[in-house]
Amino acid sequence: MAKMLMINADKCTGCHNCELACSMFHQGDFSPGTSRVHVFTWEVEGFSVPMMCQHCRDAPCVSVCTPVALTRDPDTGWVNLDEDKCIGCKMCVQACPFGDAIWDEKLKKILKCDNCGGDPQCAKFCPTQAIEWVDDQVATRMRKRGFAEKFKQAFSE
Amino acid sequence: MKVKYFAILRDITKKKEEDWPEPEATVGDLIRDLVVRYGHAFERWVMKDGDLWALVIILVNGHDVRNLKRFATALSPDDVVVIFPPMGGG
Amino acid sequence: MHGWIGKILRVDLSTGKITKEALDPVMARDYIGARGLGTKFMIDEVDPAVDPLSPQNKLIFVPGPLTGTYAPSGGRYNVVTKGPLTGAIAAANSGGTWGAAFKFAGYDALIFEGKAAKPVYLWIKDQAVELRDAQHMWGKNILGTSDAIRAETDDDAKIACIGKAGENLVLFAAIMNDLHRAAGRSGVGAVMGSKNLKAVAVVGTNGVTTADNAAFEKIVLQARDKIQKHPVGGTGLRLYGTDVLTNILNEVGGYPVKNFQDGYFPTADKLGGETLAKTLLKRPKGCFSCIISCGRVTKVTNKKYAGEGEGPEYESSWGFGGDCLIDNLDAVTKANYICNENGMDTITMAATIACAMELYEMGLITKAETGGLAVEWGNAEVMVELTRLTAMGEGFGKKLAVGSYRLAESYGHPELSMSVKKQEMPAYDSRAIQGIGLNFATANCGAAHVRGYTIAPEVLGTPMKVDKDAVDGKPALVIQFQNLTAALDSTGGCLFTTFGIGAPEYAGMLSALTGVEYTPEAFMNCGERIWNMERQFNLAAGLTAKDDALPPRLTKEPLKTGASKGSVSRVPEMLPVYYELRGWDANGVPTQAKLAALGLAQ
Repeated sequence: MAKMLMINADKCTGCHNCELACSMFHQGDFSPGTSRVHVFTWEVEGFSVPMMCQHCRDAPCVSVCTPVALTRDPDTGWVNLDEDKCIGCKMCVQACPFGDAIWDEKLKKILKCDNCGGDPQCAKFCPTQAIEWVDDQVATRMRKRGFAEKFKQAFSE
Repeated sequence: MKVKYFAILRDITKKKEEDWPEPEATVGDLIRDLVVRYGHAFERWVMKDGDLWALVIILVNGHDVRNLKRFATALSPDDVVVIFPPMGGG
Repeated sequence: MHGWIGKILRVDLSTGKITKEALDPVMARDYIGARGLGTKFMIDEVDPAVDPLSPQNKLIFVPGPLTGTYAPSGGRYNVVTKGPLTGAIAAANSGGTWGAAFKFAGYDALIFEGKAAKPVYLWIKDQAVELRDAQHMWGKNILGTSDAIRAETDDDAKIACIGKAGENLVLFAAIMNDLHRAAGRSGVGAVMGSKNLKAVAVVGTNGVTTADNAAFEKIVLQARDKIQKHPVGGTGLRLYGTDVLTNILNEVGGYPVKNFQDGYFPTADKLGGETLAKTLLKRPKGCFSCIISCGRVTKVTNKKYAGEGEGPEYESSWGFGGDCLIDNLDAVTKANYICNENGMDTITMAATIACAMELYEMGLITKAETGGLAVEWGNAEVMVELTRLTAMGEGFGKKLAVGSYRLAESYGHPELSMSVKKQEMPAYDSRAIQGIGLNFATANCGAAHVRGYTIAPEVLGTPMKVDKDAVDGKPALVIQFQNLTAALDSTGGCLFTTFGIGAPEYAGMLSALTGVEYTPEAFMNCGERIWNMERQFNLAAGLTAKDDALPPRLTKEPLKTGASKGSVSRVPEMLPVYYELRGWDANGVPTQAKLAALGLAQ
């Protein structure tokens, strides 16, 4: 079974710990600008959501990548970026429907979630499990179970 | 005796307060009987390593048992016992 | 530098001149940042006798070295100035994300001087800093201001701003950031308004570095674990918010009611955190890098008090609630929203209304002055309307805008203001809890619970339980808490982390982050230094030992009901012991020996 980063937006408190852990792991400092995960907060409603690369099966970024810097590993299911092959054309930035491929002008490179090689720091540092590193099938079953419990509450005494 | 529950203990006991007609000589006796009634879910918020959890606030008529005799604090039939699990600060 | 950026931004609003200076590493080491560093700038650069609302006062926005890192709940900043409410040094502490954005823009502190000829706001995008016209925003509330600025600058701009209250120089006006977070007390918002400064907007795209990434990560993970294992910081505050304190204080008989006429409120449960969680709470909220999430995202659907936002916190719930003899949580929350939407301190606003209710009961305030409003105990509708009038600067709100001390004084009864140094006491009755009373009397900013939160040991029992009614040992306890807090407040950290960690962890985090070695003793020493420096400022501003006093109600009128009935505050007998332990003379003046030991010039 492959693993995925599960986003539980209802648990996000807008703390940005994920961004800090990501930039520390990849860049060696605390710079949310270079993070591959971004948290969006709606101040009025008090709602926040973290967003990162979804490692699509039919990844549009892979399709458009001419130097084949972006490839999908069939075993892990991850979409990996080979920075040495990347020419910085930014076609992936335009192709990704989620906006999760980012061009960083300061670093002059594409920033994209790489699951930290298997120990995602965002999930490790998230204090509320708004981001979880889980088996990709268990992820959906967890949500189903959560709702099934509501039926149990509705029907029990 | 009256027992009042706060914070998560309200969800566990499903009550805000109750009359407790059983005679209890000490706070320890009362807590032991409450654990019997409400089980482990209650116990884990009040006990630690077999003794009263240092962070729990138990008041007898407004007085904190940690400044009296903790579990050995005596109880009378007219007392009001209040139990707060450790939840608050600010 | 690591942790610190190494750069100060200075803006002279009178001339429009913007300069950048280096941060002195010795100053950074000794005063850390935030509260300590801001106060050091104040004492070095501002005559303590200055009129707080004059151009000669300075207004300093200052995060700490931890701000912008993943130090747990370490993302705060302070606003430091001379407070118009108190005439004393003021350091208002706020969370949200503004402080981190300011660090990422590339600065450790922002010092405003002088006064702009017309309303302006400061726009900072990394190294590009400019003053912009704000005349078209003057009069807008916090949301309106934030939207207007983002439309002109950047969708992601983080904004600290004032509303009408700051513009109208309400003496307890606050500066709001992230819409719902307040640098709340002592009138820092009025200082901002007096300078014709509407807002500071920031976009920061840089970073904060550490001296030792691996060591910092290790100690941060250990600190997080301790906080998460402590039931208050790890579970309780996220589930119930600070408002869970309502029932706790009430059951020990220390929940002040009717302007501190008594200490027990029979229907307090209707205002408590448990009720809030079941009725108005939508979800918890955390500040930058926070792991505790005590923030309350709430919504009131009751048409009469409809609104949405954040809060109420315990202090606000108490103030608009029991202190005014009101138990309607919808109304209390609405008053809280009005304060947030317009930039006002909830504690002073609520306590001023409670004081007005007592003056009205005595017949000193009449309907003729209030425009027909019956300022009666328990009148929720009037309480909300008075809050709105104060925010708008209309009607009787104009009289309330000076705070309870000046209000009560104008009717010949200053003793009915429940304040110290003219700043209103928060939600803990000093007759029921002896140590907190001593903290209220001696806190340098005026009455404030967060300066030495001895409620933790005296009522909650963490880190250990002490007898709340005892007087022995309390001066030493208060001093220890005050010193630790002063140092912690200067790091950018949140006080709620002390449910779990303390000086050893903070010293460890600072050392790994900055590369400057802090032992726990050195950390506490910084706190003591900062406390004494604040005291020096206040003494030079004209405050004396006479200002280290609670209102006579608390030392002379025993509590009538509740678990602590019959008690009075014994601050007068604790104060001389406090002075002695602090190394001050009998008049509360730090001795030469003490100042020398702390490296403070006389």
